[in-house]
Amino acid sequence: MPKAVKGVLVQCDPSIKAIILKIDALDHDFIVEDLDDQTLVVKESKLVELKQRLEDELSNTQQMPEESGSE
Amino acid sequence: MPPKRKASTTGSRSERASKRSTPAPSTPMSVDSSDEYSEQGEPPDESEAENIDKAINKFSLESYNRQQHQATDSASQLFGSSDFAYLSLKPDHDNRPLWIDPVKGRIILESFSPLAAYAQDFLTTIAEPLSRPTFLHEYALTPHSLYAAVSVGLLPSDIINVLDRLSKVPLPENIREFITKCTASYGKVKLVLKHNRYFVESTDPEMLQRLLKDEVVGKTRIEGSDEITKEKAPQMGGLVIPGTKNAAGVKQQPDQAQAQRTDQDAEGPAKEDDIFLTLREEDDDEDETDQVHSFEIVSDDVEVVQKRCLELEFPMLEEYDFRNDEVNPNLEIDLKPSAQIRHYQEKSLSKMFGNGRAKSGIIVLPCGAGKTLVGITAACTIKKGIVVLCTSSMSVVQWRNEFIKWSNINPDDIAIFTSDHKEKFSRSTGIIVSTYSMVTQTKGRSHDSQKMMDFLQGREWGLMILDEVHVVPASIFRKVTHSIATHSKLGLTATLLREDDKIRDLNFLIGPKLYEANWMELAEQGHIAKVQCAEVWCPMTTEFYQEYLRESSRKRSLLYIMNPRKFQACQFLIDYHEKRGDKVIVFSDNVYALEKYALKLHKAYIYGGTPQAERLRILENFQHNDLVNTVFLSKIGDTSLDLPEATCLIQISSHYGSRRQEAQRLGRILRAKRRNDEGFNAFFYSLVSKDTQEMYYSSKRQAFLVDQGYAFKVITHLQGIENLPNLAYASPQERTELLQEVMLQNETSADVEKIDGDLFGERSGGPGSKRFAKKGARRTAGMLSDLSGGQDMAYIEYNKSRNKELKGKSQNPFMKKMFRDQAKRRAQNTNLD
Repeated sequence: MPKAVKGVLVQCDPSIKAIILKIDALDHDFIVEDLDDQTLVVKESKLVELKQRLEDELSNTQQMPEESGSE
Repeated sequence: MPPKRKASTTGSRSERASKRSTPAPSTPMSVDSSDEYSEQGEPPDESEAENIDKAINKFSLESYNRQQHQATDSASQLFGSSDFAYLSLKPDHDNRPLWIDPVKGRIILESFSPLAAYAQDFLTTIAEPLSRPTFLHEYALTPHSLYAAVSVGLLPSDIINVLDRLSKVPLPENIREFITKCTASYGKVKLVLKHNRYFVESTDPEMLQRLLKDEVVGKTRIEGSDEITKEKAPQMGGLVIPGTKNAAGVKQQPDQAQAQRTDQDAEGPAKEDDIFLTLREEDDDEDETDQVHSFEIVSDDVEVVQKRCLELEFPMLEEYDFRNDEVNPNLEIDLKPSAQIRHYQEKSLSKMFGNGRAKSGIIVLPCGAGKTLVGITAACTIKKGIVVLCTSSMSVVQWRNEFIKWSNINPDDIAIFTSDHKEKFSRSTGIIVSTYSMVTQTKGRSHDSQKMMDFLQGREWGLMILDEVHVVPASIFRKVTHSIATHSKLGLTATLLREDDKIRDLNFLIGPKLYEANWMELAEQGHIAKVQCAEVWCPMTTEFYQEYLRESSRKRSLLYIMNPRKFQACQFLIDYHEKRGDKVIVFSDNVYALEKYALKLHKAYIYGGTPQAERLRILENFQHNDLVNTVFLSKIGDTSLDLPEATCLIQISSHYGSRRQEAQRLGRILRAKRRNDEGFNAFFYSLVSKDTQEMYYSSKRQAFLVDQGYAFKVITHLQGIENLPNLAYASPQERTELLQEVMLQNETSADVEKIDGDLFGERSGGPGSKRFAKKGARRTAGMLSDLSGGQDMAYIEYNKSRNKELKGKSQNPFMKKMFRDQAKRRAQNTNLD
């Protein structure tokens, strides 16, 4: 018996997709289908949570590293 | 130097402006001593390492607090302390180009104003340029810049008047005070070098007493010379000031100057061109003798005393009255008549010789704008013994050749002091060219070089030219300046900045910044190439970014450098520019990436490990061979590499946020040969992987060039990149392979190559320079049949290095002889027919 899951099509930069994949890698709870470099289908029910975690993740990666340009 | 087409027209315009802007008093600034000290507000209570910046801040903040004003409208609170609404605009403010910030002492110039050229000339005389983009220029008033202004003969009242006239708001009271205070104490105390000993001199004995009572200065006095000595001043006070009128002036047309030369008397204000002539003239009408008082200080503590005196607001004057120096023999040296100095070079020199004496300081000119000629002209003006210090033995040779090229000096009078050559000049005085490392080396000196050093230290020198001052940390300069006694020092550089604070002390070790050229102006006039800067954003592929997120910080850099999209962008740009006929240099700090890119794209590359002969061969091919249009360079190519053919520059990896590296790299294409072609542009691309740390570093790196007025365009997509034939890493499979390969690299390959010296580092000066170790033979077990192809294996070379192909063919003399004989025989045969 086929099972239907409500999904949302996400289009994003490859780098954002990489972050989503990273989030998903923990419990495989978000992505329904990985379509190509810039498109994904994610579960609709998890969308809010995904957005939240993406934001957290982004603030981590965008956080600038300490000054290492000593020469 | 070929005359520049545009220079004369623009030169004459700004020349007029400068004449207006710089009033010329016929008498020098009086150095009379009043007891203003007691009136000066700040008690000198700070004890250690006070630098100028702090001095300004202290000054301005303090006076700001005294300022009484109320917030004038509801928006005032948003601006906090930088609300200047209380400064009322003048009614005709539209016509005036300056804004003056009373808190920081900053002056903002609207460079689109009709008065801008005039104002700019004035401002470069009295203030230090901070940032000069297209429309708004920012200048800072510092004590040093004001001293420089006074020393060329400007009166404080003139400075204040002109500023007030140009400003949109009435000149703030504290700025007025600042200017008067700074200029009043100028020139009261002098630091003089006599017979290899340092003396503090002043016309006012009370001043010296006060200094001696100061606990810092007092300690440095040499015991035994307990009393303040009194002697006749060698013609101080009344010096003719040649070039004052044009202190901020610009070059004249030679014929014009010729005309003026005739009707000009010795006392009259000399034209810029005549500065060298006038300097030689004896001015013996000034025999009013003055009493000077002096005490001797320990030479090691000169810097301490200088700092202390600045704190006490008696900045020490370090000027060399070279015309009246009878102790040191004169050197026969003059510029060749064919040598033409460009207007900005004159301008910078006129700041150095502003009042007929040589001031120590630093001149900042962009790469390729003729720093060497400035140094040589300064040497020709002073005409005493001269020491030139540069960074590598390659540039030692270059300096010597330039000296011979531009001046009429006897080649025997220029000696070279490197690990290979140790010469002395035969006559009483001359020029010595050496490297920093040779002079500062303390251990392991050979007998010969020790003798040379004794020779260097045993005498007095008129001028020390310090090339590329930014590369050497202050500690080296300290050693140099303490070990060799020179009357004046001239530092030359293109980029007076370091990411660390090591150049702060240069102010004391060498001197203040005398002149900084406007890059954009020089580019406009065709002295350096016009450059289009672009930052290319390359998106990371998903796979690479996933790994990037997972990796430690060191390996991350490898991932963003090896980003296949970046690779493609690089390939595309090289292809595009080669088709246009450009010569391309690609820079990569990372050697692993350098090799990988170069092999894949089949281009020649040079890094620290490339043998000397191969380097020269590659560079020669790049310059003259139409088939070699691209060369990959590692960090070794950053400085002192002169490739006038190069017109396009791509940088794929760089040293974090180093602004200096960015500027130095840009310098590689500024001297482009084709710069005077109609509509010619050089190109500077910086490839950056999106969403990585590189973006942050990149914006930091650009800060300096942006300050010089360069604008970086951001390119997010290169048109037509998908259609490039043979695009590298186009398929996901190739990309995965690349990723795997990168992941297998250990962390060390992410490191930046470590080299001492530059492209020619192998030959670089110091006795400690290393030779590259030869690789030993490698042994592997195997069958003889493997090697002969008997095991189904044959030898094929993939990714063959382009470097090897550039090697000449048939170098064996035996083969050459055979070919020669064959050709001869063939020729005979045809003759017989």
